[in-house]
Order: sequence, then C-alpha cells, then structure tokens
Amino acid sequence: MRYRIRHITEYRYANRVSHCYNLAHMIPRSTRRQTCINSRIDVSPTVAQGTRRTDYFGNSAYHFEIQKPHRELVITSSCEVETGSQIGDANLDIGRTCGEARKQMARARSEDVILAREYQLESSMIRADDQLRDFAKDLFSDERPLLTAVSDLTQRIFEEFSYSPAATTIATPIAEVMASRKGVCQDFAHLQIGCLRAMGFAAKYVSGYLETLPPPGQEKMVGADATHAWLSIYSPGEGWFEFDPTNNTMAGEQHIITAWGRDFYDVTPLRGVIFGGGSDPAMTVSVDVTRI
Amino acid sequence: MSIDPAVILPAGLSYPPVAGNGDEVRDNEGHILPHWSYLLESIAELGPEAFSERQAKALRILRDDGATYNIYSDAKSPSRIWNLDLVPNIISSDEWGAVEAGLQERGELFNLLLRDIYGPGKLLRQGIIPAEALFSHRGFLRACHGITVPGEHELILHGVDLIRDDDGKMLVIGDRTQSPSGAGYALENRTVMSRVFPSLFRDSHVHRLAAFFQQLRNKLISLSPHSSRSRIAVLTPGPRNETYFEHAYLANYLGFYLVQSDDLVVRNGFLWMKSLDGLNRVDVLLRRVDDWYCDPVELRSDSRLGVAGLLEAVRAGNLIVANPLGSGVLENPVFLRYLPDISKALLGRELRLPSVQTHWCGEPEDLAYVLEHLPELVIKPIYRTSGISSSAGALLTQAELVELRLRILANPAQYVAQPVMAASYLPSFQDNQLLPRPAILRSFAVASNNSYSIMPGGLTRVGGTESEFIISSQSGANSKDTWVVASEPERLLESNSRGDDLQIREAENINLPSRVLENLYWMGRYAERAEASLRILRTTFMLLNGEEPLTPRLRQKFRAAVAKVTTTVLVGDLISDQDLVRQLQDGAVLSSIANNLNSMLFCADETKELLSSDTYRVINDIRDALADLNSTFTVARLSAPEEALDPLVTALMALSGLNHESMIRGFGWRFMELGRRLERATQSSALMNCLLSTVLPEPEQSRVNEALLLTLEGLISYRRRYGARTAIQTSLDLVLLDGDNPRSIIYQLTQMLAHVRKLPNSKGYLHELPPAERIMVEGSALVRLSSLNDMCADVDGTRLQLKNVLTELEALLLRASDMITDRYFDHREQSQQLVSSQWEGV
Repeated sequence: MRYRIRHITEYRYANRVSHCYNLAHMIPRSTRRQTCINSRIDVSPTVAQGTRRTDYFGNSAYHFEIQKPHRELVITSSCEVETGSQIGDANLDIGRTCGEARKQMARARSEDVILAREYQLESSMIRADDQLRDFAKDLFSDERPLLTAVSDLTQRIFEEFSYSPAATTIATPIAEVMASRKGVCQDFAHLQIGCLRAMGFAAKYVSGYLETLPPPGQEKMVGADATHAWLSIYSPGEGWFEFDPTNNTMAGEQHIITAWGRDFYDVTPLRGVIFGGGSDPAMTVSVDVTRI
Repeated sequence: MSIDPAVILPAGLSYPPVAGNGDEVRDNEGHILPHWSYLLESIAELGPEAFSERQAKALRILRDDGATYNIYSDAKSPSRIWNLDLVPNIISSDEWGAVEAGLQERGELFNLLLRDIYGPGKLLRQGIIPAEALFSHRGFLRACHGITVPGEHELILHGVDLIRDDDGKMLVIGDRTQSPSGAGYALENRTVMSRVFPSLFRDSHVHRLAAFFQQLRNKLISLSPHSSRSRIAVLTPGPRNETYFEHAYLANYLGFYLVQSDDLVVRNGFLWMKSLDGLNRVDVLLRRVDDWYCDPVELRSDSRLGVAGLLEAVRAGNLIVANPLGSGVLENPVFLRYLPDISKALLGRELRLPSVQTHWCGEPEDLAYVLEHLPELVIKPIYRTSGISSSAGALLTQAELVELRLRILANPAQYVAQPVMAASYLPSFQDNQLLPRPAILRSFAVASNNSYSIMPGGLTRVGGTESEFIISSQSGANSKDTWVVASEPERLLESNSRGDDLQIREAENINLPSRVLENLYWMGRYAERAEASLRILRTTFMLLNGEEPLTPRLRQKFRAAVAKVTTTVLVGDLISDQDLVRQLQDGAVLSSIANNLNSMLFCADETKELLSSDTYRVINDIRDALADLNSTFTVARLSAPEEALDPLVTALMALSGLNHESMIRGFGWRFMELGRRLERATQSSALMNCLLSTVLPEPEQSRVNEALLLTLEGLISYRRRYGARTAIQTSLDLVLLDGDNPRSIIYQLTQMLAHVRKLPNSKGYLHELPPAERIMVEGSALVRLSSLNDMCADVDGTRLQLKNVLTELEALLLRASDMITDRYFDHREQSQQLVSSQWEGV
C-alpha cells in the first residue's frame, strides 16, 4: 500500500521562547516491509541549523536549533511510504516453541541473537516487574509455539484493558496501567514488551501511524488519524514480528513505521530544550494518512 | 638476617620494617632498597621536629594556593585543605620503565576498545564482550554512537589505579576514562614538595612532570578543528565540585579558559563562550563534567551542568570534547574479566601489565563462585555513581551479607566481584613518626602522536590507618608526591613553546566569560558592603565606650545608622557597648556581615583561576576571621569590642590593596573596581543621609560629624586641614566633593566614569554618551553642582537640600547598577524540557 502522510505538531507557549534545541523522530524509516519514498520536514520559525542523521537504532533523526524568539513552533513532517504486510504471518502455530526460543535467547552466539539481546534488557520506561511475569506466564509454557503465545497475550491485553486517552500521560508507569487496566497504545505496547522481556524474549517498541478508515458511507475527516504504537518481538533464527495489542492484531499494511527503540523514550516524536516559554505549553498534533 | 633499623637510621626518625609482605621500602631480607636510602637518611637526619615544621609549611602553601578538596558528606565545611603527606612515594627509574610501557600498551588497548564500542562493534558481534555487559551499562551512551575524534586516538586521557601485588609487582585495579582527576593535584604536590624540600628534591634526580602537561596541552591544541586561533576551555561543574581546585589550577597552568555551563551556548552548530564583547567560539573542551550530564537535549535531561545542543556541535565536527562523550563506558569493570580476550582480538597479544582478577555476576559460573565466596570478595556495581559504593564481604554482618546476596541476585549483570587486595605499605609521617600506610597509585596517560605519554609517577594516595580498606580521596585519604628517581640527573626538557596557534589572551582580558566578570563585580560590592558595616559598628562601639555618655538622641541616631548600613532591625536602646554586643549576639547584624563575606568568598571561588596566591592568603585570613567572628562576640567580657572587628577590616583593606596593586588593568579588575566604587558611594551616601540630614544642636552635632569622618576614614585629614573643631560644611567638602579623597563620593563617581568609558559599548554611539556613561556623568554633575551652603541650610530642622541630593544620588546609583547588570552580564533564561517526564534514557 502506498500512503501520503502529513504530521503536524504545534506548540504554543505562554511566554516567548528565545531559542531552542530539538530532536525529532518523525521521518519514517525504511524497513524490510516498508520503503520511505520521500520525506521532508518543515519547521516554523526557520531553523538556524537543521541536521538529519540515522541514529543508533537506525531511525531517521532530525536535529534542529532555532535562534529566533517565538511563541509558536510548528513542525510539519510530510512523506510518502510504500508498505507491505509482514512476511510469514500466515500461520502462527508453526515455528519455534517458547522453550526453544528461550534457550536460543540465553545461549546462542549468533550475531542476530547477540544484537537482539539489547531489547531483552530493562530500559528506562520498562523495568522488570513480577506482576508482568505473572500476567503472561501461563501463555508461554515451553511447548507452545512462540508466536501463538504472543498472539494470545496480545488478545489478553486487548480484552482486559480498556482504551482510555484520559487515563494516562506519557509519564504513567506500567505498574499504574496494570492497576487501573486503562491506557492508550503506548501503554499497551510498553506493557506487552515488559511481559515478553519478563518471559525471556527480546521486544522493541515501534512508533508510527495507523491508517483509519471512515465509517461506511462517510468522508474521512482531515487530521483524524493519529500517531500509533505497537511492538515487535524477536524469534531467534526467524526474525522480528510486529503485534498491535491496542487492536488485537498483527501489524499489517496499514501500520506505517516511523521509528523503533527499546521504549517510547528512544523514539519520542519531538523532544528538546527550550529557553523561556513559561509553563504548560499547549500542544496539538494532527495526522493525515492518505492512500495514494 | 634482621637488621636493627636504628643502625641504618641513626637519628630520631626511623621507619620500622613492616610485618609480612608488602613493604615497599625493604627487600625480602629487610634491607632498605637503594632508591629509598637517600630519602630515608635525609628524613632521619632532619628529625621529627624539623619534619613537622616542614609539614606545617606545606600546609600553609597548600592553603595559600587554595588547594582544596571538597568532601560531599561534610555539609558543614565541605572545603578541605588538600592532604599532602611529605614522605614521597619513590619508584626506581628501572621499574618505572616497565610500568610505563605497560601503561602505554593499556592506553592503546582502551583506545581501540572505545573505538570499537562506538564504531563497528566487532567485539560485541563476535561475542568477545557479552551483550548484557555493554547494553546494560549506563556509561554506554547510544547517542554518542558513530562520533569520532580526529587523529589516532579517541581516548585522550587515561587514568589507571595501580597497587602492588604480593610479589611487589604493579597490578591494575581500575581505569578512569571519564575525566580522570588527580593530575592537577599531582602537580600541586610536586610544586609544594620542591618548595619544602628544595635540596632533597634537587639531589634526588626526580623525573619532571612538565613534559606530561606540555603533551596534554599540545594534544588538545592539535585536536582543534580550526587551524588558527583555537580557543580551548576547561568545562567545570563549578566550585562545589570535589576537585574544583584542580579544574582552576589546570586551566591556569595550561593557559585555557575555565568555563561553566552558563558560560556556554550552542549556536548554528558551534559552541560559544559568552563574554563581554559577545560570543567567542570554543574549539576544544577539556571536560570535567561527566559525559552523561553534558547535553540536556540528548543525554540527562535535568542536567544543569551541560550545554543544550553540545552533542550536535560535536557530531558536526565543530567541537572536540576530551575525553570524548561516551568514554565513561570504559570504566565498566566487566571488561577486566574479558581483557585477555579483548587484548588478543585488538592487539594480538595479552597485556604485560596484569589487572586484578574480576568475576562478573552476569556469567552463571562467576555468579555461583561469587555467592559462595562473598566474605572474601569486594563487590562493585559496574557503573560508578555517587551514593553507590563497593562492599567488602569481610566487613559485612551476616544480615548484610544476606542483603547483598539478594541485591546481586536481583540484578546479577550489574555487579562484579574482585578479591580483596592487600596493598603494599609506604612510610607516612603521622604522630611524629614514620608509620606504614597502605598505598595506591593513580597514573595518567595522555595521547601523543602515535602512542601515550605517561606522567612519570602520578598521584599516590595512602590510607589514614594501617588497615584502611578502601583508599579514596572522598573517604579522607592522604596524598603523596610520587618520585620516579633516575640514577643519573635528567636532562632538562627543551622548551617546546614553538609559538603555537593558541590565541594570546589580550591584556584587557576581553574574553573572560561574563560570569567571571559578574562575580568580580559582586566580589567588589560585597567586600565593600561588609567593610561599611564593620566600620559603622566600630565607630558606634567607640562612641559608646567614649568619655562622654551619648545622649538618647544620639544613641537613637547611631542605632539607626547601624541598622541602615547593615540592613537589619535593631530593637531597644543602646545605652552601653554591652547593649550593642548583645545585639550582635542576637545574630541579625553579625549574620548580615557574615552573609556579605560569605557571598564575597563565593564570588572569589567562582573566579579562583584569576586570584594569586597572595590574594588567596588574604581570602583565607578573611575566612578565618569570619569563622572567629561569632565566637568573639559570645565572650561578654570584651574590654574593647571594636578591636575584635579590626582583623576583618584589615584583611578587607589588604584585599582591596592587593587587587589594586597586583591585578592586571583588564576588564576583570575594572568590574571589581566598579562594584567596589558603586557600593562605597552607595554606603557613604546612605550614612551621610542618616547622620547629617537632621540639624542637631551642639555639641551633639560635632560628635555626629566626627563619627561620620571617623567612619569614612577622614578624621585625620580633616583635622590636619581644619583643626580640631569640625563643621558640617567643611566635612561635606571632604567626604562629598574632594576629588583627592579616595573615600569621597565624587572620587567614586569619577572612577566609575573612567571605568565604564573603557568598557565595550554597543555600536551606534558616535558622539552621544552611551547610557552607562551618561548615568555616571549625571551623578558627578549632581554632586559637583550642589552648593555646600544650600545643602547645609536649615529648613525646619532638616538639611533639606542635602537630603534631596543624597536621596537622588542613591536612586541614581541603583539605576547604574541595574544598567551594568543588564548590559554586561548574561541573563540566562530558565531552560526546560519541551516534553517533561521523569524518564531517563540510557
């Protein structure tokens, strides 16, 4: 599928910002099932310095510096992306069992496994937690096929947690999400990653967009799409597989990847340091994903 | 064969043999090693008393140099004089040759390791270093991946901690690659030693340290991405940092700028230092801030010690940071466990200099061993942060051992264990005798053209007791100079000052960071403010103790004057000097003075690199007098309380005199002068306003008048000029209008005008007066155009005109201060994270 995406982020500040330094993860990366055909980022006010680079995780990172006083910052990221479906998602019941996979993760000396281990360790937003282990344990017995178990976990999260944008912020710890059983895509992705790591597997956080279709017979509203998040799990020798607990599905053509990392912190769409600005800047985000 | 030490050391100061292994001074048969004999004989000859005197002299020098080491755990007096034990650690030239080669090799290896970790990652991919050991180490900064330093070396400075094993061979127990500290202290130790023992030092043929520092300087200059007029700065966290002395000392010695976070800004991808004439590009940063704190955009987001955008400036190649950001990863002790394999993979051979045996709990077999042998091991976290320290199994209770075991099991990959190392012993002068103390040596290597240059010797630290377990400066260890002694005198280093491209600092010091200027300005103001308070107190004491009792009206007047100048509230009548002493004891007045002095001392710390030893000595006097101030006034039976204030007044005068006589007439001096003059004018004006604006009958009027002259140091001149009887008009002439009187108000205004004329001004003033000049001219005119007759005229009991002039002057000085602050000092806006969260990425 080919998409045109426009992602606009606006900040309005109570006081003047004299200068700022930012890092954006807003340009889709190319992956095995996705090609970023073209992309551009426009920033208002004009940047004094802007640099694109590939970061440690292979994502496109855009650094910019603004030296002009401003009260409003607008970042518009536009791109065209060609996506495909995941390879090998036909039958989850064939493939490695949990037991084999766990053994491989712990012992194998192959480069892939070594590099995947980075995503098995604790990260800043996802700490090891007995609750997570207990939540997932019964699904991951040694003889079960790994991807089936992951799929079951995805379903369990989908069924036991309710989607509630008001319930959490980007700073809500997983333990709170566990307790309230509410959250958004980011929380569910973190939660499932935490469970998978507790089970001895490597899982990474994937940020991106999801194409949403309007109800039958209605026009799609501009800006109605949103940024989205899901996860990818490593099966030793087989590769990475993406699951979306918010929608109880494997990621498909409609899942467009921006960046991945160990958790949200590594791929925050926009972060930075501003000088001035006062308190509580107002942020609005609008995303349009259009098929072309 | 046992030898009576008294036979070898005939005089009073002998060093008894140490039981067991580990005596660095004697061989296995108990003979004193040749390279120690000359030193020990000389010390013995000197005897304990003379040695004590030298020790006291060394302490004085260290204090005058401002050589301090801040102990974080001591909140009350965190600033300690650096500990130097005068018995040097002696290493023979022959032995050192081998150690030096080993350290060079180790430097090369760690350099290659650093390059691989942030580059191709070969060792990781091949499984030579375990994934968990790297990925879960907080020193591994993913943001720094792919950044390289020009030249052959990534690792610029390498510190290595060494002890002697049971066989007396040097063994590495740890590496310092973040921003190794101690080289500056080693240099200070050497400086002090050569002053305290000039002939002993000269005759011992000690290898010099200068070449190492010259190499460091050359290396940093060579790193600059810009070939000419490079600017190099030392980035310090500031005066509260434990090794701040060293930062200032090194910056001075190497001729670099000393900067803090607020002095710097990134603009257009370059790093700039904010100074009086605007922004000056910085090309190379020798950092003494841990890498993790260096950039709030990409690294630790709540850091106030770094510079936003720094990492991008580095990536763009516009700035070189040494050691490079991310180099802290090499301090991971897990690497010691795999060092033989790492070395084989990178160098093709194992290292000559062995490292301490290390077990990593992330490896199942190691974990099992560690848990079984906990009491024999030292357990260390793999990432060094303040607050988390090593635990020695042997020193733990049963319950603590259980707790430690659980801690390890919860996160095994985060711990290593090493055997307890029995350090060797060096003689240390304590309690008038030479006693054996466990020792550890930190060596320093700096990258040079194609290898590493090693400082001959390094910084030796010894434990405070014979059984000291962990020797660290934070836990109060002593330090020693380290002498690598040659059998032949060393040929002198050829001076290598081949006119390098480093920008020569102009005499005007135009490039000082604005922060430094601001601190000098406030140093001047606080010093003057404290002095004014002390002076009015002194005068009031003298009046209260005088022959004639003060009338109630005068008592009230002086109470008001003290309150005004010290900005405190005094309650109750001052009938005798004891009332004032009581007022002082209550604290408000004294703490106001102490606050001013403490603020002044703080400013002095912030500008430490500009202050001479002489100045530091006076600063120390002020510190001492300040410490005594409270206790002085708790003694109620003071015969003349005003005398207790004299040492402080004298010290402050000495400081002002020194600044006047020895500071280069650059911007630093001008700002300190501006602060001083402005404060003096303000205080004098306030005092005159308070004492003279009301018309009093005689003889009260004369007493007030005399008191004013006394306080403003004008009484003697006045009497010489006008005789014994004082009159308001002639007094005002002296303290307000006399341009030859350095304490008159017009003198302050004239000086201030002269200073602001020399400061850089914004463009666009051709003939028009720039604002700061305008305000000084306005002040001078106001004072000059006032008529003494008018000012002294009695309008319903008030000298209305005088009062008006002084009030206007005070307002004008306030405006002048605001203007200087706005125009010349940096007003950094508060920065904040765009997205705030408590998470910290690693």
